Amino acid sequence: MPDTTTGVVVIGGGSTGAGVLRDLSMRGIEAVLVEKGDLASGTTGRSHGLLHSGGRYCVNDLAAAIECVEEGRILRRIARTTIEDTGGYFVSVSEEDLAWEPRFVEGCAKAGITCERISVEEARRREPALSQHVRTVFWIPEDGHLDPFYLVMGNVESARRRGAQARTYTEVTGFIRDGNQLTGVLTRDTMTGEETSIGCKAVINATGAWAGFVARLLDVEVKVVPVKGVMVVLSHRVAHATINRCHKPGDGDIIVPALSVAILGTTAVKVPHPEVLPIEWDEVRHMIEEGSLMADGVSTARAMRAYAGVRPLYDLGAEAEGREMSRNFAVIDHEQRDGIAGFTSIVGGKVTTYRLMAERVTDLVARRLGVTTPCTTAEVPLNDRDDELDQLRHRPAQLGVPKPHGGERPLQPLVCECELVRPQDVTPWFEDAAVRTLEDIRRRTRTGMGPCQAAICSYRLAGRLVTDRHQDGPTATRAMAELLETRWRGVRHVFWGSQLRQAQVTTGLHLELFNLDRQLMLQAEPAAAPEAVGARQ
Amino acid sequence: MITDEVGTFSDTVEEAAPVEACTKCTACNTVCPVARSTEIFRGPKFLGPESERYRSQPEAAVTAGLDLCSGCKLCEVTCPSQVSIQEYIRRAQNKGAAEKGRTLRDWVLGHTRLLSRFGSMTAPLANLGNRNPLVRWAMERVLGIHHKRPLPRYQWLTFERWFTRRPHNKTARRTVAYFYGCWVNYNERRLGEQVVAILERNGIEVIVPKQQCCGIPAVVNANMDLARKYGGENVRRLSGLPADVDIIASSTSCGLMLKHDYAHLLDIPGAEQVGARVYDICEYLWMLHEAGELNLDFQPVSTRLLYHAPCHLKSHGIGYPAMRLLRLIPGVQLEEVDEGCCGISGTFGVKVEKYDLSMKIGSRLFAAVKAAGTDAVLADCETCRMQVEHGAGAHSAHPIDILARAYGHG
Repeated sequence: MPDTTTGVVVIGGGSTGAGVLRDLSMRGIEAVLVEKGDLASGTTGRSHGLLHSGGRYCVNDLAAAIECVEEGRILRRIARTTIEDTGGYFVSVSEEDLAWEPRFVEGCAKAGITCERISVEEARRREPALSQHVRTVFWIPEDGHLDPFYLVMGNVESARRRGAQARTYTEVTGFIRDGNQLTGVLTRDTMTGEETSIGCKAVINATGAWAGFVARLLDVEVKVVPVKGVMVVLSHRVAHATINRCHKPGDGDIIVPALSVAILGTTAVKVPHPEVLPIEWDEVRHMIEEGSLMADGVSTARAMRAYAGVRPLYDLGAEAEGREMSRNFAVIDHEQRDGIAGFTSIVGGKVTTYRLMAERVTDLVARRLGVTTPCTTAEVPLNDRDDELDQLRHRPAQLGVPKPHGGERPLQPLVCECELVRPQDVTPWFEDAAVRTLEDIRRRTRTGMGPCQAAICSYRLAGRLVTDRHQDGPTATRAMAELLETRWRGVRHVFWGSQLRQAQVTTGLHLELFNLDRQLMLQAEPAAAPEAVGARQ
Repeated sequence: MITDEVGTFSDTVEEAAPVEACTKCTACNTVCPVARSTEIFRGPKFLGPESERYRSQPEAAVTAGLDLCSGCKLCEVTCPSQVSIQEYIRRAQNKGAAEKGRTLRDWVLGHTRLLSRFGSMTAPLANLGNRNPLVRWAMERVLGIHHKRPLPRYQWLTFERWFTRRPHNKTARRTVAYFYGCWVNYNERRLGEQVVAILERNGIEVIVPKQQCCGIPAVVNANMDLARKYGGENVRRLSGLPADVDIIASSTSCGLMLKHDYAHLLDIPGAEQVGARVYDICEYLWMLHEAGELNLDFQPVSTRLLYHAPCHLKSHGIGYPAMRLLRLIPGVQLEEVDEGCCGISGTFGVKVEKYDLSMKIGSRLFAAVKAAGTDAVLADCETCRMQVEHGAGAHSAHPIDILARAYGHG
């Protein structure tokens, strides 16, 4: 007998998994999501956050472009609070770009993407950051920024309200089978080592770049090609709108203003394993050099960190590699293909089309389960509850101060000044069992994502672990050190100028003033050392 | 320029760094007199570099609480990364005021020169009115000027007119242009007379070019355009001076505007060149001393004094030349009262909702002054002197006053 039973187990806590969980719950199907790391800690959380208008794919990958157009419009309806409607520019800076233009215009027309050619003068008036190298400009009003963390949390919260469960740090180690029918999954808590089983009627493998590993547990093959992309985060927005190079998608050709920062992306390098994502200095430099061609201030802005994500490209068997491969997705019906009833994989795709992917795979699974309730995820907004996830850009206005003569009321202290995180933004998450580490708090609230990279907020969060979670000092200190360590992994790639000086302040504060290393050394080894969670940023 | 001969104290100051240089070290918050005295102010780090990251976003103008910044600039002096914290705060405040509309008080306090001119013209009456409780009640209701705040006394004979009437001494090795500022012109002519006497005693010819308000009241009352207009007029006139004429100021804040803020905060063309030849009066006299030119023929002045260093003097980056100078005088016992900002910050402590805060900021200074019980408290800044007199009930003077006494011009 399994420990618990449910209708469907969804494996993977990225945008697809979260979207599937919500879709299932909205169709009245009981579901549990299991994720071996935290929600949005793999591909989704490491995307560049571009809400695709489809412009990037309209020439080479028309099908993906058309999906982006439709899904972008749906997301603007249902996921309002996760989107910044920045609009975007496609700019040409070289002869090659100019030669690409006619194909781009034709592609936009075919895919139904609104695309307007504007003069360079007009573009520069609207967006003074556009560089002197820019020769022609297209305005694509439907490009934007999609916050991947809010998106995933929003989907999961929406599903939870309908009775679904999400278990983080829960890895699938095997399956329970009854002949050809899957009847459950075996899981292990990656932090405590505790093993459990969940009985179910169907399993959806939504693990993206990790889909092959999960499928292998059932001795079936799912060929996903992990393609690494490196991104650099600048400490302020640089531009008001997204900026793309108008050419065949290549390295370093996107700038996305994302809430309080700008993200430069990206590269495309095939990697042997989705968790082996080295960041080379040349890649970081290349991002900044290419970005500088499109916008002024990229090379002088403060680079805060670099990170790498992995695209889960599904190998359709074509000869294509890396960027040439389609960004389309596929639903693999393993009952039909491999004779394993109750197992379905969803592979490929991208964050912008997560909802459609979820719809397609849920359609199949629901049909098999005999559920006929239609999909409503395209109509019902994520924030169908008033106190939905907060939006960072509304916070500055909310941080007003009382008038001095209107009775002095002390200001509420902030948890993270860089990203304007208030205590009430953090508190609910400390009560959430799915939140295990301070990194998890970061992903849900942006705490520690600003220029100081958790130098200041880390010790405040550690204090909250003691007050809110009743942890002892050494445990909280260790959690703080882990947060700083994960921040460090990104910061070390951009060690020059202000961020180098920042690191000096951070090390001075934590290693000298707090004597953190010594404190950790004095501690006994934790009983169950948390294993390296691959999906850690 | 005198700098060519003896060098400056401040020529190692680095260029202001962009907002991104902030490392969140929080040094600015620890020195901020306002943040130290009230729980309702988030401090310079938040209102400056941290909020600045959001100000370019269309929906998020971070303006709440900006008016609580008194403009003392200690944050900038302290910042190890040379972030122009004040400039971000002032620009944001100005932008907010331009969008929301300025109050009558903003306008009045920004136009202190106009006000002073009127006060000076109607001197006896204005001074009487400023002490009349009924008038002060009305001023508080209409203008938001706190009734307890003593207002400066105006004098009918301005420094400008006094200067043009006196015989001009032309036999000199050096010539300086004196930027006397509104205070000396309308409220404390005697200080200006002393400055002229001391300079002439040292064989320096003093000329007085036509001048406008330095603009700092307009800057701190959210009217940068007005400040820029005033600054532009001053820069135009001062640029016309012969190249070997240095410019001196006896008001710390006027001097700071000329030296630094015209070029950096207000972006006035030509201000950089003018600023390079501006010296605080005590700074200038000390440099004369270093050049071996200061007349050291002092009469002993037997007095015990406290020196309060104004915040804006700290921004000059010249140390405390007044203390060094006065210690040359036999009989002077001088100690620094190192208790931070006095709290008034120009027009800040005048406002009805800021008066109590301003007195609270200055309370440490007042207590130290009372405890010391010296003959007088010296400060280079006129509003600091007003505040010390008001808060500690002590006599106060510009350091030049002691120097003048040593020269027999007391």
